[in-house]
Amino acid sequence: MPSLISRGASRIRRDPRILKLPPYLSLLCILVGVVWLFLLPKNEYSRRTYISENALLPGQVHTYFGGSDQNVFRAYKHEVNALVHQSNIEINDKLESILKGLGLKVGRQNFTYHSAGHVYSGENTYAILQAPRGDATEAIVLVAAWKNAKGELNRNGVALLLTLARYFKRWSLWSKDIIFLLTPDSIAGPQAWVDAYHDAHDSSRVDSLPLKSGALQGAVAIDYVREDRFESVHIVYDGINGQLPNLDLINSVVNIAGGQMGMGTGLQEMWRHDDKYPDRLRTMLRGMLKQGLGLASGPHSSFIPYHVDAVTLQPFGNGWQDEMAMGRVIEGTFRSLNNLLEHLHQSFFFYLLMHPHRFVSIGTYLPSAMLVAANFTIMAIALWLKSGQPGLTSTSGKAENKKSDDEKSDSKTSSQTVERDLFLPLGFVTGCQFLSVVPLYLFNNAPDGMLTLAFITFAALNTILPHLSSHLLTKYYTPTIQQYQLIKSFSLLLLGMFLSSLATLNFSLALLVGLLACPLTFMQPWPRSPVMRGICMLLLDAVAPTSVLVAGAVYWDVSLGTVLREAAFAWDVSGMYSPVVVWCVWWPAWLAGSVTVLGKPPPTPSSGPKRKGEKKAEGVEGKPVSK
Amino acid sequence: MRLSSLLRVPALFAAALFAAAPVAQAEHTSNWAVLVSTSRFWFNYRHLANVLSIYRTVKRLGIPDSQIILMLPDDMACNPRNAFPGTVYSNADRAVDLYGDNIEVDYRGYEVTVENFIRLLTDRVGDEMPRSKRLLTDDRSNILVYMTGHGGNEFLKFQDAEEIGAFDLADAFEQMWEKKRYHEILFMIDTCQANTMYSKLYSPNIIATGSSELDQSSYSHHADNDVGVAVIDRYTYYNLEFLETEVRDTSSKKTVGDLFDSYTYEKIHSHAGVRYDLFRGGEEEARSRLVTDFFGNVQNVEVDGSKNTTLEEDLLSLSRTIAALQQKAEEEEQAARQNTTEAVKSKPMAHHKTQFAKPLTDENWWTKKIFGATALAGCALLWGISSFLEAPGK
Repeated sequence: MPSLISRGASRIRRDPRILKLPPYLSLLCILVGVVWLFLLPKNEYSRRTYISENALLPGQVHTYFGGSDQNVFRAYKHEVNALVHQSNIEINDKLESILKGLGLKVGRQNFTYHSAGHVYSGENTYAILQAPRGDATEAIVLVAAWKNAKGELNRNGVALLLTLARYFKRWSLWSKDIIFLLTPDSIAGPQAWVDAYHDAHDSSRVDSLPLKSGALQGAVAIDYVREDRFESVHIVYDGINGQLPNLDLINSVVNIAGGQMGMGTGLQEMWRHDDKYPDRLRTMLRGMLKQGLGLASGPHSSFIPYHVDAVTLQPFGNGWQDEMAMGRVIEGTFRSLNNLLEHLHQSFFFYLLMHPHRFVSIGTYLPSAMLVAANFTIMAIALWLKSGQPGLTSTSGKAENKKSDDEKSDSKTSSQTVERDLFLPLGFVTGCQFLSVVPLYLFNNAPDGMLTLAFITFAALNTILPHLSSHLLTKYYTPTIQQYQLIKSFSLLLLGMFLSSLATLNFSLALLVGLLACPLTFMQPWPRSPVMRGICMLLLDAVAPTSVLVAGAVYWDVSLGTVLREAAFAWDVSGMYSPVVVWCVWWPAWLAGSVTVLGKPPPTPSSGPKRKGEKKAEGVEGKPVSK
Repeated sequence: MRLSSLLRVPALFAAALFAAAPVAQAEHTSNWAVLVSTSRFWFNYRHLANVLSIYRTVKRLGIPDSQIILMLPDDMACNPRNAFPGTVYSNADRAVDLYGDNIEVDYRGYEVTVENFIRLLTDRVGDEMPRSKRLLTDDRSNILVYMTGHGGNEFLKFQDAEEIGAFDLADAFEQMWEKKRYHEILFMIDTCQANTMYSKLYSPNIIATGSSELDQSSYSHHADNDVGVAVIDRYTYYNLEFLETEVRDTSSKKTVGDLFDSYTYEKIHSHAGVRYDLFRGGEEEARSRLVTDFFGNVQNVEVDGSKNTTLEEDLLSLSRTIAALQQKAEEEEQAARQNTTEAVKSKPMAHHKTQFAKPLTDENWWTKKIFGATALAGCALLWGISSFLEAPGK
C-alpha cells in the first residue's frame, strides 16, 4: 500500500501538467484573496458588534455631568483661552495650579525627541486622582493634548478635561485611579509619557515620571477643537503599527453615545454612513489603509502598543450636542472602565470595522492576506522544482513514455534532476536584502531639508539600479536561466514568508504590500523579446516602492517632504515598523524581480526552455543533455 | 347533662390527640435555611442581592440567624464601585437596605467553595469548625436550600473557579437523607438552565423548583441606574413579591402550591420548573405544604421519642379515666333525675356565691365606709373652696 501511494505520488509529481499549474494557482490565490476582501462588507460575512465583557455594563448608569458643571466649564475655558499665546512651561504652570487646586497630585515631565533634524520637545503635565475607596493597583487615563494631531488648538478638550477632573473628584465610586494627562502635542507628548510610565523610555531624551499609579487599564483622549454644537462622536482607534484597541472599548463608546445620549458615532472620517455596501467598503478600506501605514492617529495611539486600550473622541457634524454631552459620554465610558475587573480581553484585538455596529474578525479576513502571501510561496516552490527538472515541460509526450521506464530504474529518475547552481542566486538575494539597509538608514536619518533631495536621488538610482546590476551580472557571471529561476524563487520565498507572518500582526500592511508586489510572481527573463522586457520593466517601475510613495503623495496632495518627515518621525518617536517592511521586505523582492526581467540568459543547452515559443525548438535537445 | 358535656371536651381532645399522632410524627421541629450566592464580582451584584433578599424574608418569617447559613462570595456593600457605600439594594427604589443591621454571613469570600458547600450539607467538617458554620439539622428539620449564580446544563459555577454538578448535589442530599439530616427540603435555584440542577436528585422528601428550563436563560428583573448594575433576577423578584404580599406573617396559610402557581412565563420570562415526585405523598402532599414550613420558623414542639411512648400511655389512661368518669357522671345524672328539685336548688346557690368578690375581713365595715365618705367629701370641699378663692382673685 505505501509503495502504491508513493508510486502514485511520484507519478503525480512527475506529471508535466502539475508543473504548468503553479502560475495559474498563484493567480487564483490573488484573485480569491481580492474577491474575499470585497465580500467582507456583506451581511453574510460581517457580524454585528456586541459587548462581550460582562463587567463593562455600558450605559447602565445615569450620568450627572451637566448643570452647574457647564459654568465650571466656561470658567476653565476662559482660563484656557488666556493661555493660548503663552509658552508650554507657562501653560503648564497654570494647569498645575488649577489641578492642584482641585486637590490632585500633579507631576510634570520633560521630553526631547530628535527626528529628521528637528527637535520635538515639550513638557507634559498630569494629575492623579486617587480612587477614594480603591486600591492603587489600576488606573485609567483621560488625555487632552494642547494641540490635536492636525496641530489645531484643543481649547474645549483641555477645558473639558479640567471640568471632568473637578467633577470626578466629587464621586467616591472609583475603583481605579484616574490620571488626567495634558500634553503639548498629540504624538510625542503622550508617547514620552506612556514610555516613561512603563519605564521603557530612554532617560537621556525623556524624563522619568515623578508620580505613578497602578497598571493602566484604558485611556480616552479628547480632541475637541470646534466651537459650535455637534451631532456625533468620531471614534479614532488606530494605534501604531496597525495595532488596535480591544473592540469592547469601541463598542462601549458606541453603546454609551448611541444608547444613552442619542448621539451618533462615526469611524474613519466617514461623516455620512448609510450602512450599505459601498459605505461599509469605504470605511473598511480607509481603516485598512490607516492600519497599513501604521502611523499614530491621535494621542491614544501611543497607549495601544503597551496593551492599554485607548481611543480618541472627536465631535463632528452639525447638531445640538454640546460640551456637556461630550462630557457625559466620557463620564459613561469611565464608569464602564471603572467596572472592569481585569484588562479588556474578552473581545477582539484583530478586526476590521466597517460601521460602528459591524465588523469582521481576524478569522474571517485573514485568509485574504494569507492567500496573497501564499501565491509567492507557491511560485517559489514551483520555480525550485522547475529549476531542477529541465526539459520536462517541453517533452510531455516523451516524458510519458519514459515514465514506464522510470518506475523500474531509479537511475533514470535521478537523471531528471539537474544540479542547481546555488551560489549566485543565494548571493544575489542576500545582497539585495543587505542593500535594503541603505534606504532604511537614509530615510530615517537624513535631515529634513535633505529628505526630498535624498528621495529623488534614490528614486533615480532605483530606476537605474536593476539595469546596472543586470548588466554587471550578465557581464561577469552570465547567469543561466536556472540561476534566474533560483533568484526569483528565493526572493519570492522570503517575500511569502515575511508577508504571511506579517499578516497576523498587521493584516492591512501585509495585504497592501502583497498586492503591490504580486506582479513579481509573473516576471521572467525575456532574452529574445526586448518589447516584452520593456513592458514588464515599465510595469515593475510603476509598482516600485518609490513610485508608490510618489503616487500616494500626489493622490493625497501632500508634499513628499512631509510624507518622509512624518515617516521618519513615526520611526524615531513611535517605533513604527512600516519602513522596515517597505525597504527590507518589499524593495529587495522588487529589485530581484526587476533583475530577473532584465536578465538575458544565454540559450545554452544546459538550460531548459522557458517559453512556449522556444519549447518546440529546444525541446528535443533539452532532454538528453540534462546531465 | 351539663357535667357530661363538660367532661366530653377533654375526651374529644384526647381523641384528637390520638388521631393527630401519626401526623405529628411527620411534622418538623426546626427550620433551617441554606442561602448561597455563588458568584463574585461587581457585575454580579444582583446575585448577592437575590440571596440577601431571601435572607431578609426568612428572618422576617422567624428563622433565627443561628439557623441560617448565608454564603456570600463577595462584598458588594464595600465594593469601591458602590455609589451607596455599605448598602445592598434589591430594588431600584432603594427602600430596603438589605445590608443594614444584623447581617450574619457565615461563609464569606473565598470560603464559598463547592467543597465547603458539600461539607456543610453533609456535616463532614472538622472539629475546628464553629457551630455557626455548621448545619446542625436532624430528621425533624425542614431545610430551605436557595442557590443563585451562573449555571449551565447540570452545573452551577462557584466564583468563576469551579462548579458543582447536578450529580454532586444529588449525592449530597442523599447523604443528608441517610444521615437523617433533614425531614423535608425545599430546593430553590435561580440561575440559567436551573431546572437541570435538580433533575438528578433522588432522595425522598425534596420539593425542588428552578427558574428556567434546559437551554433557557434566567434574566435579571431590572437595573438601578445609580448603582449601575442589575439589582435582582426575575425569578427571585417574583418569589419575593409573593412572599411579601401573600405571606405576611407566620400564620399565613398559603401553600407551596400557591407559590408555584404564581410563576408565569410572562413574569419570569423563562419556564420555571417544579419537581414533586421525590416527595412522600407526591404532588398533592407536596403542594399542600405551607410556605412557612420552609420559609418560616415552626412553633410546634415535640418531646423526645423515648418519652413519646409514656405520653401515649398517659393519654390512654387519661382517656380511660375520662371514660370512667363519664360513665359515672351519667349514672349520677340518672339518679339526679329522680330527685331533681334539691339538686337544682343547691347548684345555682353554689354557683351564685362564687360569682361575688368577698371582702377579706368583716370587721368595722360601716365605720370604714363612713371614714372613706368623709375623706372624699373633705376633698371635694377643699377643691370647691380653692376654686371659689381663685375666682375673685382674678
